Amino acid sequence: MKIIREALAGTLESSDLMVKIAPTDGELEVVVRSEVIKQFGDQIRRVVNETLRAMEIHQGLIIIEDKGALDCVIRARLQSAVLRAAEEKEIAWGTLL
Amino acid sequence: MHTRPPIDFRIAEVSGNTPRLERIRSLLADSGLGMDSDITTFVEAWSGEQLVGCAGLAANVIKCVAVDAQLRGENISARLLAEVENLALARGHFHLFLCTRPCNRERFQHSGFWPIVQSGNNAVLMENTPSGIERYCRSLRAKRLAGKRIGAIVMNANPFTLGHRHLVEQAAKACDALHLFVVREDASFFPFAARLKMVKAGVAHLANVTVHEGSQYIISRATFPAYFLKETGKVQQAWSEIDLLIFRNYIAPALGITHRFIGSEPFCAVTRQYNNTMHQMLAGAVEVVEIPRIKAAGTAISASEVRRLLKTHQFSRIREIVPDTTFAHLEAHYGVEVA
Repeated sequence: MKIIREALAGTLESSDLMVKIAPTDGELEVVVRSEVIKQFGDQIRRVVNETLRAMEIHQGLIIIEDKGALDCVIRARLQSAVLRAAEEKEIAWGTLL
Repeated sequence: MHTRPPIDFRIAEVSGNTPRLERIRSLLADSGLGMDSDITTFVEAWSGEQLVGCAGLAANVIKCVAVDAQLRGENISARLLAEVENLALARGHFHLFLCTRPCNRERFQHSGFWPIVQSGNNAVLMENTPSGIERYCRSLRAKRLAGKRIGAIVMNANPFTLGHRHLVEQAAKACDALHLFVVREDASFFPFAARLKMVKAGVAHLANVTVHEGSQYIISRATFPAYFLKETGKVQQAWSEIDLLIFRNYIAPALGITHRFIGSEPFCAVTRQYNNTMHQMLAGAVEVVEIPRIKAAGTAISASEVRRLLKTHQFSRIREIVPDTTFAHLEAHYGVEVA
């Protein structure tokens, strides 16, 4: 999947996260900020990287502002942001699990 | 225990909604803020019948963010900002700027904003991406030119006059290479595309001049934090400092700029103050060279004079103070009315 436009998903409510995505030419840049980065930073990054890999995202700027969300919420928010940013019409649900 | 109604968010368009704006105005006043006139939309936070928070949007700049003192610490400003970001994206603005007092810097850093530069205790300019200015500098570095003396000029050219051409020629003569930025913001009489075209045509005879399209980071709406300091003098000063700090810390190093050229300013107090601030802020980093304006028929040439003459169709007098290239543009676009 290719990031072709800017997109947002999520909120800055407690237990949620906001995902911002913008196209870049070339590299993949992932920025994670979290209120619980000390305890769960590695786990959050793992979820993010796995989600991006499953959706075959190899370039773009991904900014994540986490307010203590659960893994499933992180995955869901990231997926919706990516789908919006890729203007994906046909969703391959199999890759989103 | 006292329970507060949940917060809901509403959008208020500024145009022709005065009674509603009064509540925003008084909320801002409680936080020591004035209302900036270029804000088109506010996101409001309501708790029942009470307006408890607001954030204004002027194109891609967020300003006038305030939260009722009794409700601070409940994450309302972060929620407001998320609402504003969604609203802005729906209107085509993804890259957003936010200007605030340095004491709020940390709060906005937790809401998806990164600081670019800070002018003392007055103002800090932030953007909603960690790599905006860095990415811009990377694109500038690709346009670096070889040489010992590398000059820079920033001009609005509204429109490009003989005065502008004189400034560019003097600067080009004094440098190995000259970077000429045309202010991008479309807030002038002549649209950006027309100004850029007139500048390019007007400096085409100078081999060592590169014309750049301006950006959000050079004299733009984003670098104008006009709302949070009541005294206009201070506002102006803070704005100049923010703009010049970006130039000194990012743009000049990216292009290897050693000299910045400006025209002396006999008319406009704002530009004159900007020039003065430039001498202070760039000292030790970039040499500022002020070139006296050339005169025609006794008075210094200015673009505002051209605009005045254009309104009254005095083309023969315009011809005396603009290059042929600019005159051709004016004739093609505004000359018909004369006939």
